[in-house]
Amino acid sequence: MNLDWLDAFLITGLFEVVMVIGLGLLLHLQLGLARIANFGVVGFWGIGMYAFGVLYVRVDWPFADPWQFLVCAAFATVVAGLAGLLVGWLIADLDTDGVLVGTLGFATAVQLLATTEDDLTGGARGMGGLGFPYDIGRVKENELLWLVITAVVVAAILFYAWRVHRSPYGRLLIAVGGNEPLTRSLGKSTFRAKLWLFTVTSAAMGLLGAMNGVMVRYLDIGNIGVSVTLAAMVGLVLGGTARVWGAVVGVILTVGLFDIVVQSYLPLPQDWYTQAIPVLREAAFGLTLMVVLLFRPLGLLGDMRRDELMRRLHGR
Amino acid sequence: MEFITQSLVIGLTEHAPLVLAAIGFALLYRLTGLINVAYSETITLGAYFGMWANTTFDLNFYAVLPAAGLMAGLVSVASYLLVFRPARQRGVGVLELIIISFGLSIFLQHGLQFIFGYPVRFYDVPPPDTILVLGVGVSSFRLLALVSVAVLALLLYLFIQRSNLGLKIRALASDEGLAQVSGIRPLVVTVLIWFIAGVAGGLAGAFYGVGSNVAPLLGWRQFLMILMVALVGGSWGLGGVILVGVGTSVALAAMALSFNQVLYAQLVLIAAFVVVLKVRGRQAPETAKV
Repeated sequence: MNLDWLDAFLITGLFEVVMVIGLGLLLHLQLGLARIANFGVVGFWGIGMYAFGVLYVRVDWPFADPWQFLVCAAFATVVAGLAGLLVGWLIADLDTDGVLVGTLGFATAVQLLATTEDDLTGGARGMGGLGFPYDIGRVKENELLWLVITAVVVAAILFYAWRVHRSPYGRLLIAVGGNEPLTRSLGKSTFRAKLWLFTVTSAAMGLLGAMNGVMVRYLDIGNIGVSVTLAAMVGLVLGGTARVWGAVVGVILTVGLFDIVVQSYLPLPQDWYTQAIPVLREAAFGLTLMVVLLFRPLGLLGDMRRDELMRRLHGR
Repeated sequence: MEFITQSLVIGLTEHAPLVLAAIGFALLYRLTGLINVAYSETITLGAYFGMWANTTFDLNFYAVLPAAGLMAGLVSVASYLLVFRPARQRGVGVLELIIISFGLSIFLQHGLQFIFGYPVRFYDVPPPDTILVLGVGVSSFRLLALVSVAVLALLLYLFIQRSNLGLKIRALASDEGLAQVSGIRPLVVTVLIWFIAGVAGGLAGAFYGVGSNVAPLLGWRQFLMILMVALVGGSWGLGGVILVGVGTSVALAAMALSFNQVLYAQLVLIAAFVVVLKVRGRQAPETAKV
């Protein structure tokens, strides 16, 4: 396949957009439905990435790819899920302040462990040795196929989020987010619902982290900074936290704008790309978060369909 | 015995700014009910303002402290008037306010890099002397920082607990409606709270900065510890914040000495604080029922 027309930056940019859409969708389930403000998205994503990397590189497996990849990715998903179970148990009955401490604390702990356990993770030096679980030719072709596989996984997450919205479990989560004491008084186990949600979404974040590890092929503690959480959150808030498609629309308008349009198509001086553009990107994301929540708190797509319908029916 | 004295001296001198920053944060949290993530940038700004005044006008470190505190206080007030007050007036919820403060924090953190440049910066101060305290060598700067922080913390505590303005601040925090009826002007008092919190954060930032270096992530790196100290200690008032802050500082030093790695100490403390919040969170709904 001749892919000379395809810019390498475009594949990386598209992968970044797809990855953040996946994280934004999972954050939508936590924040948009159950009103759990997870400020540690990068922690669950990062633990998945490092668990995958350590197992893939450090263990001498008796079988090769794709089985090696599948086993390591499954392990990373389980590790992130267990971390989600533990953090979820700690924060499920706490107020927003406690959730902030728990999730931010977890993300910080993952970063500290990735730094201190350098025998396993490579610490500040980083860890190489990761690769695609197949070889179909040149790097660009392998990357393009990996982008397609990741997009399929993210589409599955989108379908799951869409199904949750229309299920009794989804309605329970919306009730928990709306008024938790009332939901509990109706005999629903809000703690169990939040715990299950946190475990499943954290596991999926870990899987996305593992898939990112394959794409970047070199794990570096610089990859697990707050910018990952920020990108997912700003995309979701801009699109609309309450809507399934909110993360998709918002991430395309934010991460897509910077990582594809600005990086690939704007004729800017070369030295801008190393320092000025990443800094400008983060500053713009921070500003967007503030402006959207101040002037259009429901984001571009607005309220949930059912709430809009109820308002129309009742004339409010 | 040597281990205890080392932990005490190193902990108190090295982490003294943590107590000051936590007092400022707790003031805001307890009196306005807001978890202000952007408080971390007040600390960073204090460090930058101090460094800028120090290196531009060739001023002594202690001469730049008032300017650093004042500028950080003004930025804190500006963030209230331009962001948080309009948000409150628009009826933005608690969770969204935290996200707004997170956005403001990121915006300021990266905006600072445009103003002050990308490289790490340093204060221009003479090399400090080493003074022996209980057999442990401490730099004169750290010792002066400890004394200054102790004095400032005491002044803040007395101001809130004993002064007429402090009484107004506490009245506003406990019942805004009643405070208004009693003639207290909420806007003036709230602005005062934001200013004092900003001054405390800015001074803490200047002490952090002169102790090591000035970088855009300076405040963000300290924020989690400040937040935990303020949340856990804040239940017992400002005195509780000071006690938990001092305890945390000494525990950080003790564990860093034991593990030979300060990052492990932070890990243990994060876990400990989250468990404390979990236990307390479980108790809270029970008392609420009564």
